[in-house]
Amino acid sequence: MTDPSFNRPPPGWRADFRAGYLALLPLWLGAAPFGVIYAVSALAAGLSPAQTLAMSLLVFAGAAQFTAVGMVAAGAGPFAITLTTLVLNARHLLLAASLAPYVRQASPWRRLLLALQLTDESYAMGMSGFLAGRGSVAFQFGCNLSMYTCWPLSTIVGIMLGQVIPNPAAYGLDLIFPLSFIGLLVPLLREQANRPAAALAALLTIGGALWLPGSWYVLLAGAGASGLVALVTQRKAPATLAADSTPGGTP
Amino acid sequence: MTIWLTICGMAVVTIAVRALPLLLLRGEPPGWLGRWLGLVPVAVFTALVLRPLVVSAGPDPRLTIGAPLVAGLVGAVVAWRTSNVVATIIVGMAAYWALRLIGLV
Repeated sequence: MTDPSFNRPPPGWRADFRAGYLALLPLWLGAAPFGVIYAVSALAAGLSPAQTLAMSLLVFAGAAQFTAVGMVAAGAGPFAITLTTLVLNARHLLLAASLAPYVRQASPWRRLLLALQLTDESYAMGMSGFLAGRGSVAFQFGCNLSMYTCWPLSTIVGIMLGQVIPNPAAYGLDLIFPLSFIGLLVPLLREQANRPAAALAALLTIGGALWLPGSWYVLLAGAGASGLVALVTQRKAPATLAADSTPGGTP
Repeated sequence: MTIWLTICGMAVVTIAVRALPLLLLRGEPPGWLGRWLGLVPVAVFTALVLRPLVVSAGPDPRLTIGAPLVAGLVGAVVAWRTSNVVATIIVGMAAYWALRLIGLV
């Protein structure tokens, strides 16, 4: 399983790439609404259309972008947002680390290119391809580029919609942000192993939001609750990957 | 200008965490690190969900129990039963607007 000998001779790079691209199309349905909602809330938070699109192209990480927009709206600075992005996206270390054995024979430049567009969705689809024995670097590239098509496109749609919506908060549309994260969070809570961290994070969030300045509660709860629970629990199996690869945004 | 700086910082750290394992790692991450990183999303999502629902925004934050929290709980039920983010948003917003109609804020 860890020996990816099945993709040593690239059998039809173009066909594999296309297969990966098409395999991810259903996941567009789950991600595209987020791209639209992200753009709408980014404009509401004061980002320009160019900045809104640039973040989708350069950062390309939904949860981090939502968080950054929320923190901008709360008046947080670049350092706090960058640090929170690091904490939020630290999970990519895990995704990339587990993907590494399968793509190790690709050139460093190709591995770097793979890394640039790695997301939860494309990782889940590409990895399931590898595990089923029909994956390849080209298939993974196809998955990645598929999501990298969907996300900026939906951002542009959101930018066009957002300039029509006068004041989202007046209609309670700012509630879409926590609601969309409930959609991501609750399925994670099906995993027993995730519940203590969520409970501790809830306490740290309320305390941090009441007593700490700005948006530092995100960092406090995000890094603190997970770190403390990881320290205390001495489970042997890395049940973490199962929780991570759950495609939260997809129906 | 501040926003552009923010975007650059976000891009750099995001590329770093995506690229470093693929470029450097050859084996599995150590167990404790894997456990920690694996729990980060659930902790961060909890923080992001809870603050707008129960703590008021602005210079004088305080605990508030109202329509946003109730709508959030409705959304949580939908999310539990369907695992569907779009359905969670739609039903949660419908609950919120219904609560506003009957006067709960």
